[in-house]
Amino acid sequence: MGAPEKLATSNNNSMQRVKVYRLNDDGKWDDQGTGHVTIDYLERSEDLQQRSEDLSLFVIDEEDNETLLVHRICSDDIYRKQEDTIISWRDSEYSSELALSFQETTGCSYIWDNICNVQRNLHFSTIRNETYNGTNNELRELPAVELATLPKILKVVVDSSVTDQLCVTELILHDQSFFRKLMDLFGVCEDLENKEGLHMIYKIVKGIILLNSPQIFEKVFGDELIMDIIGCLEYDLETPHVNHRNFLKEHVVFKEAIPIKDPLVLSKIHQTYRIGYLKDVVLPRVLDEATVASLNSMIHSNNGMVVTLLKDDTTFIKELFARLKSPTTSPDSKRNLVFFLQEFCSLIKSLQMVQQLRLFRDLVNEDIYGVITDILQSEDKKLVLTGTDILMFSVNQDPTLLRSYVSRKEGVPLLGLLVKGMLTDFGNDMHCQFLEIIRSLLDSFSSAGQRDAIVEIFYERHLDQLISVITSSCKSINGTHGFQASAKPEILLNICDLLCFCVLHHPYRIKCNFLLNGVLDKVLYLTRRREKYLVVAAVRFIRTLISHNDEHLASYIAKNNVFKPIIDTFISNGNRYNLLNSAVLELFEHVRKENLKILLKYLVETFWDRLVKFDSLPSIQSLKVRYDQFQKEEDSRRRVEERVLEKEEEDYFNKESDEEDTASASTPRTTQIRAKPGLSSGSDASSPSLRLGGLVDYEDDDDDEEYKPPPRKQSEKPEDDEKSLEFRLKRKLLAAKEDPNLVKKHRLVGKNPKSKESLFATLCSTLSHATLPSKKPTSSTHSTEEPVPEKNGPVSPSEISNHTSKIAEEKGEKGVTGI
Amino acid sequence: MSDLDRQIEQLKNCEPLKESEVKALCLKAMEILVEESNVQRVDAPVTICGDIHGQFYDMKELFKVGGDCPKTNYLFLGDFVDRGFYSVETFLLLLALKVRYPDRITLIRGNHESRQITQVYGFYDECLRKYGSVNVWRYCTDIFDYLSLSALIENKIFSVHGGLSPNINTLDQIRTIDRKQEVPHDGAMCDLLWSDPEDIVDGWGLSPRGAGFLFGGSVVTSFNHTNNIDYICRAHQLVMEGFKWMFNNQIVTVWSAPNYCYRCGNVAAILELDENLNKQFRVFKAAPQESRGAPTKKPPPDYFL
Repeated sequence: MGAPEKLATSNNNSMQRVKVYRLNDDGKWDDQGTGHVTIDYLERSEDLQQRSEDLSLFVIDEEDNETLLVHRICSDDIYRKQEDTIISWRDSEYSSELALSFQETTGCSYIWDNICNVQRNLHFSTIRNETYNGTNNELRELPAVELATLPKILKVVVDSSVTDQLCVTELILHDQSFFRKLMDLFGVCEDLENKEGLHMIYKIVKGIILLNSPQIFEKVFGDELIMDIIGCLEYDLETPHVNHRNFLKEHVVFKEAIPIKDPLVLSKIHQTYRIGYLKDVVLPRVLDEATVASLNSMIHSNNGMVVTLLKDDTTFIKELFARLKSPTTSPDSKRNLVFFLQEFCSLIKSLQMVQQLRLFRDLVNEDIYGVITDILQSEDKKLVLTGTDILMFSVNQDPTLLRSYVSRKEGVPLLGLLVKGMLTDFGNDMHCQFLEIIRSLLDSFSSAGQRDAIVEIFYERHLDQLISVITSSCKSINGTHGFQASAKPEILLNICDLLCFCVLHHPYRIKCNFLLNGVLDKVLYLTRRREKYLVVAAVRFIRTLISHNDEHLASYIAKNNVFKPIIDTFISNGNRYNLLNSAVLELFEHVRKENLKILLKYLVETFWDRLVKFDSLPSIQSLKVRYDQFQKEEDSRRRVEERVLEKEEEDYFNKESDEEDTASASTPRTTQIRAKPGLSSGSDASSPSLRLGGLVDYEDDDDDEEYKPPPRKQSEKPEDDEKSLEFRLKRKLLAAKEDPNLVKKHRLVGKNPKSKESLFATLCSTLSHATLPSKKPTSSTHSTEEPVPEKNGPVSPSEISNHTSKIAEEKGEKGVTGI
Repeated sequence: MSDLDRQIEQLKNCEPLKESEVKALCLKAMEILVEESNVQRVDAPVTICGDIHGQFYDMKELFKVGGDCPKTNYLFLGDFVDRGFYSVETFLLLLALKVRYPDRITLIRGNHESRQITQVYGFYDECLRKYGSVNVWRYCTDIFDYLSLSALIENKIFSVHGGLSPNINTLDQIRTIDRKQEVPHDGAMCDLLWSDPEDIVDGWGLSPRGAGFLFGGSVVTSFNHTNNIDYICRAHQLVMEGFKWMFNNQIVTVWSAPNYCYRCGNVAAILELDENLNKQFRVFKAAPQESRGAPTKKPPPDYFL
C-alpha cells in the first residue's frame, strides 16, 4: 500500500499555528508553548522498514525551533475534537492528557481530517496483517503449482473474501515463479489435451484477472506472459473454442509507417492492442465494471506513454513530416503515413490537456495543415476522409489553431477544399465532418480577427458555389429543363444546414448577401424536390431567417413574394399531417405570435383565398383573426393620429409663434411612444398619445388565451435536489464540451413561459448543434451578462447603449424593435 | 434476402452495421419519419414498450415475450439509447425494423434521443468506441430530430415518453411544433419528453429533473376529458414492477428495461392491447447471463499504434 505523501510541510503558516497544553496533576491545563503543527513520518532508526507506517504529529516551537511535541498517531479511538479549534487526546507516552489549540478552525479541521485518514489506513493494514499472520493460516503461501493442486489454487483464487483476495494478490506477486509454473502446466495440459486441467486453468486465470490488481496486470500482460495467458483463456468450455493466439499471431498485422526503434514503445504498442483484444474479444462477458475500468486506464496510460515517447523523439516526427511532404514518397507509403498520422492524432487525447495543446501546436509548426491540404486534393476518397478525421481531432482539441491557419493567406485553399469536400459525393461513406469543420471555422464565437477574415472569404468565394449546387439540383420552375447536375440529397441537406447556421451566426452578412443575390428564392428551389426532408429544410431556412425580425427583410419577402413556394408546397401537401405541415404551421404561428405585421399582412392579403380552405386548423384561423384585429387597430390608430394632427394644428394656430418649437416636438414624441410601448408611463395619462400607446401596446399582452399557460414559477429550482443537480452538472459539462454561450443563453432565458422566448430557444437548437450568434462576443466574463433584449420586445435605451458597436453589428437588425 | 433483411438478421445477433450501411439506413428512415405526424396515429392491436436504454439482450427478451415484429405491432416510447452497453445495436435494429415495416412499428422520441444527453450518458462514447469516429452518432442524432413526439391509439390512448405540458391542452396544439430540432430546454416539446406525473402535486409543479414539469391528477383528468381519451400511456420513470397506474387508472407508466443499468433489480413490462383495446401487461426479467451473446466487437486486424 502506498504511503501517503508528506502531508504538511510549511512552517510559517497561521493555519498551522497551535498552542500545546498538557493536563497537570491538579487538573489544570499547562501551556507548553506555541508552535506550528505538521504531520510527518517519524524517523526511527531501529526500524526503517516500518517507516511508512509511522505518521506522527510534530509541533515545532515558533521561537527556538525546538520540538515541542511528537506524537505517533495511533489507530485507537483516543482523539477528540472540541469547539472547532481544539484537538485533544490521552497520550500514552506522556501519560497524560494533551491538547492542541489551533489559531484557525481550518487548520484544526485539516489536521483532524489527516488524523482520521491515517487512522483509516492503519486500521486497514492491521486487518491485512491479521489475515496474513493470524486468522487465515492456509493463506500463508500458495499451494505448489501442480496438476493435482489446481483445484486448491482455484479455490484460493476464487473463493476468497475481499480481504483474503488482497492476500492472494500479495502471494501471487511475491511468488516469482508462480505464473511461469502455471503456464508450463498449461503447456503440458494442452499437449495432452487434458480438458479438465485446461478448464481449471482457464478458471484460475480468469479469477486472477478478476482480482483486478494493477501489479498483476503489469505482470500477466507483459511480453513474456500475455500470449500464454490469452491461450489459457481460450478454454472456457461453455463457449466454442476460438483460437485467439492464432488470430493474434497470424492475422493481426502490425504496420509501421516509419520504423519505431525504441523497444519500450514497441512493447507498449503491442501490449495495448492485446489488452484491448482481451477486454473486447476474449473476456467481454466475464469482466466486471471495475476490472474493465482498470484495463481501460491501462490502455489509456499506455497510449499516453507511446505518444509522449514518439513526440519527444524529434527525429521521428521530423522524418514523418519530411516523408509526408516529399514528392518522391510512393502513394502506398503515403497512404500508410496518413493512416499512421490519424492514429497518432487519435491517441493525443490520452495526454494531459496542456500537453495535448502543446503537441497540436507542434504539429501545426510542422505544417500539418499544409499536409492535410495536400491530402484533401487526393483522388483517393478514403484518404481524403482520413485527412478530415485528422482535422476533426485538431478542431475538437483547439479550434483556434485551424482558424488562425485558414485566416492566413496560405490557409485559403484549405477552406476551398473543405467546401468542395462537403459538395462531393463520397458514395456510401459518411462525410458529415466537412460541414462540422466549416461550421467551426465560421462560428461567431471565435475571436473577431480570425472570424472576419474567414467569413469574408467564405461569403466572397463560396456562398455562390453552395447556392449554385442547389439551383442546379432542382427542377427549373417552368419545367423546360430538368436537373442539370443533381447533387445527392444529403449534400443539399448539408448546404441547407450550413445556410441556417450562417443566418444565426452572421445576420448582418446575410442581409447583404442573401437579399442582393436572390438567394432566398434559390434556396426555396428545394421545395421542388421530391424528398420531403429537403422541402422541410428549405422552410426551416426561411423560418430561421425571419426569426431575426427585420423589417427590411420582411418588406423584401413581401415585395418579392418569397413565401409563394412555401404556400404552394403547403397547399399541395393538403391535409396530410406530417413534418412539412407542422413546420409551415409553426412558421405561421411565429408570424402571428411575434406580431410580424408586414409578413402577416403579406401572408393574409396574398394567400388567404388559397389558405381559407384550411381554416379549420386553429393556426390558420387565428392568423386571419390576428390580421383582422390588426386592421382594426390600424384604422383606429389612423383616426387617433388624425385627431392628434387636428389638435396640433389647432394648438399651432392658438399658440404664439415663439412656442413653435415645443409644438413640433410633440410629433416625434408620439412616434417614440409607439416604438416603445412599454415605456409609456402614467404621467401623461390624459394625453391622447397614451391612448395611442395603449392601443398599440398589445405586444406584451398574452394573446394565446387558448393555451392558458399556468403561472410558471420564475424562482430558481432547489439546488439541493440531486437530480436537478445532476442535470445542472450535465449542462455545465456540455457547456464546457460544446458551447458555453448557448448554455448561458438558456440559463438566461430560464423557465420563462413566454412563448417568444421558448421559441427563440427552440430556434437556437433548430440547427442541431448550431449555435446562436453571440449576444456578447467579447468573452465569457460575468460582467457581459447583461439582460438580453427580447426579440421584438421593448428595448430600453440603456440596454441599447450598453452594447458596443461590435455587438450592434452582430445583432444586425436587432436595433429595430417595437412594431 | 434483401440487404435490409440481412442487416436486420445481423443486428439481431447484436452485430453493428458498417458506417455506410448506417448512412443508407438513416436516409431511408428520414424519408419515412418525415411523413409522420407529431401525434402519430396508431391502430390496435399494438404492444406498447417503454425505455430500453441500450439493453440489447433484454430487448430480445422483450421480443420473445411480445412476439416478433412484424407479427406483433409495436409502439416504442423512446429512450432507446444510453446507459446500456448496446445502444448502437438497439437503436439500429429498431430503426431497421421501422424502415422494413413502417406500418408495423412506431418509434417516438424520448428525452435521451438528444445530442446533449447522449454525450453525457453513453451513446456518444459508444459510437466513438465502436466506429472510431462520431459520424454514426451524428447520423443517428440527426434521425432523432425526425422522430415523432407522441402517438394516439385508436383515438383513445395518448402515448408519450414523458408526460404533459402546461402549454398543451389539446392534441391539436402539438401539431404546430416543428419537431425537427434538438430537444429544447423548455416549452411544449421539452415537456412532452421530460415531465412526470406526481401524486403529491396539485396541478403543476417544478420537476427535480431540471426540465419538464410534475403534473397532478387534476391535470390528467382535464386533459383526458378535453381530448376524449381513456388514459395516457407513458414511460420515462423506472417502476420496479414494470408498470404502474396512477390517478385512478388515468395514466400508466410502462418500463421495459429489466434490471435497469444492470443493477436496479427491477422487472420490466410491456402493455399489449388487442383490437378492442383490452389490456394485458406482460412482465419479464432480464435476459439470463448465458444468453448474452458472444463478443461483438471485431478488432481492427491491423494497427500502427
